[in-house]
Amino acid sequence: MHNHISGMNLSVDRTYDKALLFIMLLMLAFGALMIYSSTAVITPLLEKKKITEFYYFKRHLFTMALGTAAMLIVYRLKTSFLKKISAPLLVFSFCLLLLVFLPYIGVTAGGARRWIRLWPTTFQPSELVKLAMVIFLAKYMSAADYSTEHYSSFVKPVLIMALFQAAFLKQPDFGATMSLGLLTFGMLFISGMRLRYLASVSALAIPIIYKLVMEPYRLRRITSFLDPWKDPQGSGFQLIQSFISIGSGGITGLGLGESKQKLSFLPASHTDFIFCLVGEELGLIGAALVIALFLILFLRGITIANRRKDSFSYYLAYGLTMMISMQAMINFAVVTGMVPTKGLPLPFMSYGGSALLVNMAAIGLLLRISKGDDDVPAEDNSNIMAKKIARRNIYNRKGHSR
Amino acid sequence: MNRRRIVILNTVIVFGFFAVFFRLTDLMVFNHAIYAERAKSQQVKAEDIQVRRGNIYDRKGRAFAVNLELESLYCDSKEVVVDKDGLQRLSGILGMDAKVIQAKFKQGKRFTWINRKLAQDTAAQIKKLKIDGIGFVPEAKRYYPKGILASHVIGMVGRENQPLEGLELKYNKYLSIAGGKVYFARDASGKQLSSGVDMEEAKGNDLLLTLDEALQYIVEKELDKAMAQWKSVAASAIMMDPFTGEILALANRPAYDLNDTGRANQNAIRNRVITDIYEPGSTFKVIIGTAALEEKLYNLDSKFDCSRGAIEVGGKVIRDAHRHGMLTFKEVIQKSSNVGSIMIGMKLGKERLYRYAKLYGFGDETGIDMPGEVSGWIRKPDSWSATSIGAIPIGQEVAVTPLQILRAYSAIANGGSLVQPHLVSEIRTPEGRTIFSFQGETKRVLTEKTAKVFKDILKTVVEVGGTATEAAVEGNQVAGKTGTAQLIDHRTGRYSKDRFISSFVGFVPADNPKIAMIVVIYEPKGQIYGGIVAGPVFRDIANQALSYMNVPMDEDYRNDLLLVSK
Repeated sequence: MHNHISGMNLSVDRTYDKALLFIMLLMLAFGALMIYSSTAVITPLLEKKKITEFYYFKRHLFTMALGTAAMLIVYRLKTSFLKKISAPLLVFSFCLLLLVFLPYIGVTAGGARRWIRLWPTTFQPSELVKLAMVIFLAKYMSAADYSTEHYSSFVKPVLIMALFQAAFLKQPDFGATMSLGLLTFGMLFISGMRLRYLASVSALAIPIIYKLVMEPYRLRRITSFLDPWKDPQGSGFQLIQSFISIGSGGITGLGLGESKQKLSFLPASHTDFIFCLVGEELGLIGAALVIALFLILFLRGITIANRRKDSFSYYLAYGLTMMISMQAMINFAVVTGMVPTKGLPLPFMSYGGSALLVNMAAIGLLLRISKGDDDVPAEDNSNIMAKKIARRNIYNRKGHSR
Repeated sequence: MNRRRIVILNTVIVFGFFAVFFRLTDLMVFNHAIYAERAKSQQVKAEDIQVRRGNIYDRKGRAFAVNLELESLYCDSKEVVVDKDGLQRLSGILGMDAKVIQAKFKQGKRFTWINRKLAQDTAAQIKKLKIDGIGFVPEAKRYYPKGILASHVIGMVGRENQPLEGLELKYNKYLSIAGGKVYFARDASGKQLSSGVDMEEAKGNDLLLTLDEALQYIVEKELDKAMAQWKSVAASAIMMDPFTGEILALANRPAYDLNDTGRANQNAIRNRVITDIYEPGSTFKVIIGTAALEEKLYNLDSKFDCSRGAIEVGGKVIRDAHRHGMLTFKEVIQKSSNVGSIMIGMKLGKERLYRYAKLYGFGDETGIDMPGEVSGWIRKPDSWSATSIGAIPIGQEVAVTPLQILRAYSAIANGGSLVQPHLVSEIRTPEGRTIFSFQGETKRVLTEKTAKVFKDILKTVVEVGGTATEAAVEGNQVAGKTGTAQLIDHRTGRYSKDRFISSFVGFVPADNPKIAMIVVIYEPKGQIYGGIVAGPVFRDIANQALSYMNVPMDEDYRNDLLLVSK
């Protein structure tokens, strides 16, 4: 009986989700193309730094190769191993995060210490933190002693989150602070955690609000998205340039490689604001295509999650999907001026090694989950099947009663 | 796991994607025009370029002013990277001190001119150095193929091609039309990225002159000779078609090289023929002569007793150069007797004298199409002094320009009409469309008969017994008049004893004039009389000019001349 059911599972799920892989590859290709478009214009200043037409493109390809390796490694990990390392990974990522503050190892750019030196490149630990947090929460929420009715079950992950957030704020990295918060709360939310508990943590936001009020320039920077034209050369500059990029693209865009805004008008046109470049060069059609790809990725992700009946796999798949989708959505919202400006890359498309590596690893995990899990005890599986059949019966009965 | 919560969160996320899409539609479709406009305004820099000025051609299409395409070198201090060797070589090519160049590099500005209007090959040499942060902008430099020739006519432009003198100034709005713009793509720092994304090519209109290069050359060559011969301070000449007012040649000495204007001083730039006034002396006797004939006060044989060689007017004695004796009306003009002229002037009276002078346009600008023309002056009769009636008939107490005198004599030449002197006959667009064509109006000032009679008198001036036998041209009869005017000594306020302006004005061939010309020699040394100083210059120019213009010799006149000389 058991064997029979597992056999059925095999026939349905024994292969990974090809659509998901295909979408990711499409995004990677699209992203690489746009990065090339953005960075192929070489000014004498760049030439002086020995930066050539293919400099960023090649580096990006190299990161993609590393990402593929990470994806393949992660794909082979067993669920039991993942559960085992969930807590050590979180500790490890926290250590990496602390390294940022060490001299020589920590790298400061744009007034923020967010990177650690990994000769010859740098790594942004906050990206790994998100992944570690998702794995940790999946393990934590799927544990037998986890109860959505107990405040103690709620406090522990929130404290861990707050610890990370404190480190992020010290860097400072408001983008990471916000996305980790949303991710943690999102996962606790779907686990069914009491809303009262979730609401209680808003009290933790008080120090942040206090900081904003005490340092008006921060508040100004945050609220500038509401009216960027108030300070077009200062806090509103990035957003105005972003609008000009996107807006000037129109429906069909200026044509691939034809962006004018990338000529140093639009800061970060190959990293956080690459979506603007898509809009400018490929128009609404190109931009809508990118949004559609992320929407499909999201739908694929939750489909994979729904197929998995053990809660760890479910939470993990859902968490990873949310991690990617949320980052994409925040990125879209930032560049279109719907939320305050945050330094968040667009997954799979922006230039930037750490995020790409982590996101590709996340896809590796999703593919792993989509393939089905031979690690899960068979009875567990049958249990779920039984529940599923029972639920279907309930629905059927409901239908009859109408 | 909470199914309801999952559905809520999924809905929120999907809704979020759609919200982004709607936001994009708002930005990219409904507000596209606004952002496209903003994009253009920051990405494209419209720079006024030095408009390619129109060319200037003489009446036969020979170029007097053209443009050279040159390259101007600039640097971007923020981008400039140069090693010592490169700087040294750049300094060598430009012929500029390395320190000066270095200073420009270090100004900290995004755009600084290093050296402008470099020749193409110089620019090519510099480009080979491959220095970062320097670049070239194409610029046009005005070039005058004829150099010094007709410098006062053509005028000059400054370094920014701004008009400074002559036709360049007068016709600037045609030569340099508005709207020459080059659009550069630029980056956020304002640095120019490409030259001429879009060029609003603008070339000014071309001028076609009435001037003739060959005649201009002849005139200038002869003026140079005269300057050398008479060691004069200055010399001027204008040659005009007496029927149409077309200026065939116009020259002054000193002059300047249009391609080397830096060395031109104010004295050389002066276009004396229209900007300088002088007391004309005897050439002004055209007024009393023609006025008396028009008013029928005398006939050609009316007698004037000039035997005393002097006449007293208002307590002032005015003398003839030589004592003449009894003179006919004709001889008064021929021999340029001051005494006889004053007698005619007194008979004519103040009012008529003034009226005729004004009729000829004295005291008013001729309206020639050149900048800086002055009107000269002649006082109204009610402000004349007691001696004025003795001074004005012989060309004193009036201020004229050589051009005004030439125009008056052209009226005699053409049968009594005042012409409009002009230099530009046509203005054409670069495509060859004519947008202006000179339409002159002539004004009759004399009856044809008076003009004819006076012309005959003027013929005798160059004949035996006249004041300008030296002005006679072989094979063609000249009609003309000499002028010898004393300059006022500014220290004493009296007429100077040794500073004169000698002139000759006339036309040839007298009965069918092809050219009317005035020659003015300022302060000649050794000789003073117009007939002796300016007459030969007129003759030499006229000889060559008629030959160039293929004007046939008049056999009858030649024979007459031979008879006379026998």
